[in-house]
Amino acid sequence: MGLLVWLESLPLSVWVHESPSVWAQPTVLTLHTMGMGVLVGASWVLDLRLLGINRNVPLSAFRWVFPAVTVGLIVNLITGILLFVGRATTWGLAIPFFIKMAFVIASAATLMPLRSYVLHSDPQQTEVGGNARLLAIASILTWAGAITAGRLLAYLVP
Amino acid sequence: MPSITSFNLAHLHLLLNHVPTVGAIVALGLLIVAFIRRDEPLKLVGLEVLFAIAVLTLPAYMTGVAAFQKLRDQPGISEAAIRLHQDVALFGFTWMEFAGFVGWVALWQARRRGRAATGMVAVATALTIVAVVVMAQAANLGGDIRHPEIRTDRSAGAAAATVDPEQFAASKISYIMVNSSWAWPASETVHFLGLSLTFGVLLAVNLRILGVMKQIPFADVHRLLPWGMLGFGANLITGMLFFVGQPKQYLDSAPFYWKVVFLMIAGANFLYLTVFRKAWAPRDNALYGEWDASLADKTMAIVSLFSWLAVLYGGRMLPFIGHAF
Repeated sequence: MGLLVWLESLPLSVWVHESPSVWAQPTVLTLHTMGMGVLVGASWVLDLRLLGINRNVPLSAFRWVFPAVTVGLIVNLITGILLFVGRATTWGLAIPFFIKMAFVIASAATLMPLRSYVLHSDPQQTEVGGNARLLAIASILTWAGAITAGRLLAYLVP
Repeated sequence: MPSITSFNLAHLHLLLNHVPTVGAIVALGLLIVAFIRRDEPLKLVGLEVLFAIAVLTLPAYMTGVAAFQKLRDQPGISEAAIRLHQDVALFGFTWMEFAGFVGWVALWQARRRGRAATGMVAVATALTIVAVVVMAQAANLGGDIRHPEIRTDRSAGAAAATVDPEQFAASKISYIMVNSSWAWPASETVHFLGLSLTFGVLLAVNLRILGVMKQIPFADVHRLLPWGMLGFGANLITGMLFFVGQPKQYLDSAPFYWKVVFLMIAGANFLYLTVFRKAWAPRDNALYGEWDASLADKTMAIVSLFSWLAVLYGGRMLPFIGHAF
């Protein structure tokens, strides 16, 4: 609790949460949403391919997904930390927030094996293994869970 | 930023309110003539017009609500007559979007197969007929609000009636959206899921135009477009639930105004991505897979991605810029 109080008292935290400037909370929140669109959108496009949409397209064509996802992850990590420290004593003790984080970590965890699977696939390879399909299903569901939990935070943790 | 007042939007409604009716009749005429002449290219033109009109019906409806807010307290204006017009317009909008959606599917298939599926075009045409009939009624009832000389018994009856919001569909939707504890949060969640899907698909398609994954044919990213449409459809439905639920939150809002403007640009871009020819060289062309876009197409791809980000920005900034929620 002491740590959370300290985090929330940092000048940056106070600025994000208290400043009336449009560049504080509003812009950080909007960048978080844009990062979400890139991160989840690019992940889902890859997941759809792994589940059989466009099955004739080689997996190597989807290498671009990972730089895009990395950009989304970095943006959302930074903006997410800013949003967290702004209300650290609230988020740090809220169960719904931990549920969201669990979904985010689970989703990010599916990205690692999918990344090495796609990057190490043969340039012409089109067939997808059973494990990759399961990971794709898990990725779709955990991202949907993360978005749902994230959106409902506004209602569950006022 | 321009000053966005209800008066300006009400004025814009006078300009836009003829577009759905007249435009849908033009699309219908093109489709019927195309059927009679068995003219395949003309069918596609009819479908393209239909899609464009379906997109423009959105601001036509929304500016009408602005006009309602402006007019309701003026003497000689019947609130019941406006509400009746608004309700029929909402039904007309719904049919119009259905017609536009089926028309889009037919266009997408036509781009892949070389010609539109007759059944799909027939369904789009039938839906357009329904949309025209409902829209014509809406237009007629809209005219009654300010033009007593054209009032019929039905609208005169509505004009005389006392206002009972319970009887109108828009009011019922609004009641549920505002009073239900789950309707608004659930719609928001679907809206965010839909935006991610649409954005992911358009990222893939536009990155291909910009030169990423050049080794795969454009046809393969084109196959993703229906998934983008799925996300967009979810967001059109949930977005309309928000708008009908709490129209006053949006009408005076500068970010919302820009959101709709960029949505129109994004809609035009989506139509272009669906039908444009350049990337669709014959299959035996060795360059087919390695197709490289022109500078104009690359510019368009950047404009498209920017437009979707602007749509997202306008939506997310709604509570913070201009009229706070």
